[in-house]
Amino acid sequence: MAAASVYSSTGFDFSNLTRNNFLSEKGLPLPKATSTGTTIVGCIFEDGIILGADTRATEGPIVADKNCEKIHYITDSIRCCGAGTAADTEFVTNLISSNMEMHTLTHGRKPRVVTAMTMLKQYLFRHQGHVGAALVLGGVDSTGPNLFTIAPHGSTDKLPYVTMGSGSLAAMAVFESHWRANMSRADALQLVKDAISAGIFNDLGSGSNVDACIITTNHTEMLRNVEMPNERVQKERTYVFPKGTTAWKKEDIKKLVLSEEVTPIGGEAMDTD
Amino acid sequence: METSFALTGKGYVIVASDTTAARSIVKMKTDEDKIKVVSPHLLMSYSGEPGDTIQFAEYVERNLRLFHIRNNYSLRPSAAASWIRRSLAQSLRSRKPYSVNLMLGGYDVTIDSPHLYWIDYLGTMTEVPFGAHGYGSYFALSLLDRYVLSYISSKANTHFFLFTYRYHDPEATLQEGLATLKRCIDEVAKRLVVSPGKYKVKVVDKDGAREIEL
Amino acid sequence: MSIMEYNGGSVIAMVGKDCVAIASDLRLGNQALGISSNFQKIFPVTDRIYLGLPGLATDVTTLRETFRYRVNMYTIKEEREIEPETFAHLVSSTLYERRFGPYFIEPVMAGLSRSATGGFKPFIAATDLIGCLNFAKDFVVAGTASSKLYGVAEGLWEPNLEAEQLFETISQTMLNAVDRDAYSGWGVVVHVIEKDKVTTRTLKGRMD
Repeated sequence: MAAASVYSSTGFDFSNLTRNNFLSEKGLPLPKATSTGTTIVGCIFEDGIILGADTRATEGPIVADKNCEKIHYITDSIRCCGAGTAADTEFVTNLISSNMEMHTLTHGRKPRVVTAMTMLKQYLFRHQGHVGAALVLGGVDSTGPNLFTIAPHGSTDKLPYVTMGSGSLAAMAVFESHWRANMSRADALQLVKDAISAGIFNDLGSGSNVDACIITTNHTEMLRNVEMPNERVQKERTYVFPKGTTAWKKEDIKKLVLSEEVTPIGGEAMDTD
Repeated sequence: METSFALTGKGYVIVASDTTAARSIVKMKTDEDKIKVVSPHLLMSYSGEPGDTIQFAEYVERNLRLFHIRNNYSLRPSAAASWIRRSLAQSLRSRKPYSVNLMLGGYDVTIDSPHLYWIDYLGTMTEVPFGAHGYGSYFALSLLDRYVLSYISSKANTHFFLFTYRYHDPEATLQEGLATLKRCIDEVAKRLVVSPGKYKVKVVDKDGAREIEL
Repeated sequence: MSIMEYNGGSVIAMVGKDCVAIASDLRLGNQALGISSNFQKIFPVTDRIYLGLPGLATDVTTLRETFRYRVNMYTIKEEREIEPETFAHLVSSTLYERRFGPYFIEPVMAGLSRSATGGFKPFIAATDLIGCLNFAKDFVVAGTASSKLYGVAEGLWEPNLEAEQLFETISQTMLNAVDRDAYSGWGVVVHVIEKDKVTTRTLKGRMD
């Protein structure tokens, strides 16, 4: 047998594929990867970009995470909201973030938003929609504020205000009725909060809190949980069980701190002075 | 239908398997030995796709032999089981996987204890006090299963258990173990529609593996 | 019937005050037929990290071996033990590498990470079968009883439980949730990790 390699090559590993096809032929359907219903938005205002997202992660009908982060870091002045297959949005933004850092180091200047957009769309197009990431990319660079949406198959749009995810319709309805060109920072933030809230309260795939990110020429402000309209109320009583409630059969305690005892044997202790 | 049982006792493992070789609805043979002695203290019963079974059993047997020749000692049951499981798991990722289910019974001479492993064609492996494959398992497992009849709790964390054994006893002598095996075989013969006729029984203990006439 | 339900089994992890707990059931089944009532799904990774692997049993064993190998290689190369956060990313990328041919496992991990001041901080995390990380501050669940575990844990868990209280809470959550799941049960094992010791208890549970 060949010696096991310490290093694995880059890219995806398809070694389980034949087995998984074999299992599905046996009548065991393959589970679907967890997909997240989401509301994510972005909007241009007078001196930059505001991105917004809800914080619910779902596994089918179950809420898996009530306060996850969907606004991903790309560079200091570029961020990306992710909807779709949760793992894909996480890994694709991480990958592009690394590549953008390499790009910065190679060229010695701040990278542009279109660069990230091109990297993302080329990656997604190469995987023909199998990497299920729907993204809202926004940031400020030498050309000014830039806002894009990137669909899972690699198509992109450049618009002054955008929405994505299962709550995109609710959020877009808010944008369509209240958006104006060159909004002030406060007005734009309120609009983004309203758009995300529309998704949170009207779309089942979205919920919990509002995250926002304000990107301007020389400052990026991440507003984590800027609105918390669904906080859990204090529990009326506690449910701490009295010690000994649970019957157990066997106990094993593994001590992690070694205790040492010195037992002098015969005569007086050695003089060590 | 193919059926195999195995159970552990005090210092031994008994492995039993039916002896029919069937093709479609026809019995081709009624004295097929489907338990291989794969190393001096290791027994392996195999069932599943005809052809795959013997091919895989011989592959295992020869690799364990090769290990013995190279290293001058045999793999312990736990190590052999891990290697066999991995072989099946790797095979499952190939174009034509082995469709073989195994009961692996061995006696670990280094720690003087019997071990029994239940392994299926997916590469699922678990150590068990008793186990079975095939339709017979639906009868045998419940017959062998030990269950707690009741328990009386007095103070916190002081529980008195009242066990009732449904036949399998890890401390049973070989005679008792064989009697238990006989009950399994009789139960399957009585209740299973397509019950197999004859069984081959092998035992492994500190003296190695041998066949036993039931 | 999905592959994720083929063998059955569930795992939960909870955060307490300066401690974490992780629990699993002990059943291994072949669909409805129970094979083993002592199938461990939780494995120690380091002294202070435990990893639970509910899902398809063949992948439980394969992934356990993979992670043991990768953590050993990490320990040798770095000449130090892996931290829980780092290990969570190791788990995540190992699963995402197989994005298009996954292992049918939803890992859950619990541990204590070393803080800058030299103390220990509770850490729990879970991923889906393709490695999407979920760092929760309260509890994480996975397996065939996950939907039941979410409900019971949501009701019973509260912040700052001491180790003994956390043991009772996680045990009662697990026992009552698996009793409502046909594919989980046949005994429960609980590990409570504290800064100076790990307590492992096998619970008395229903055997039906």
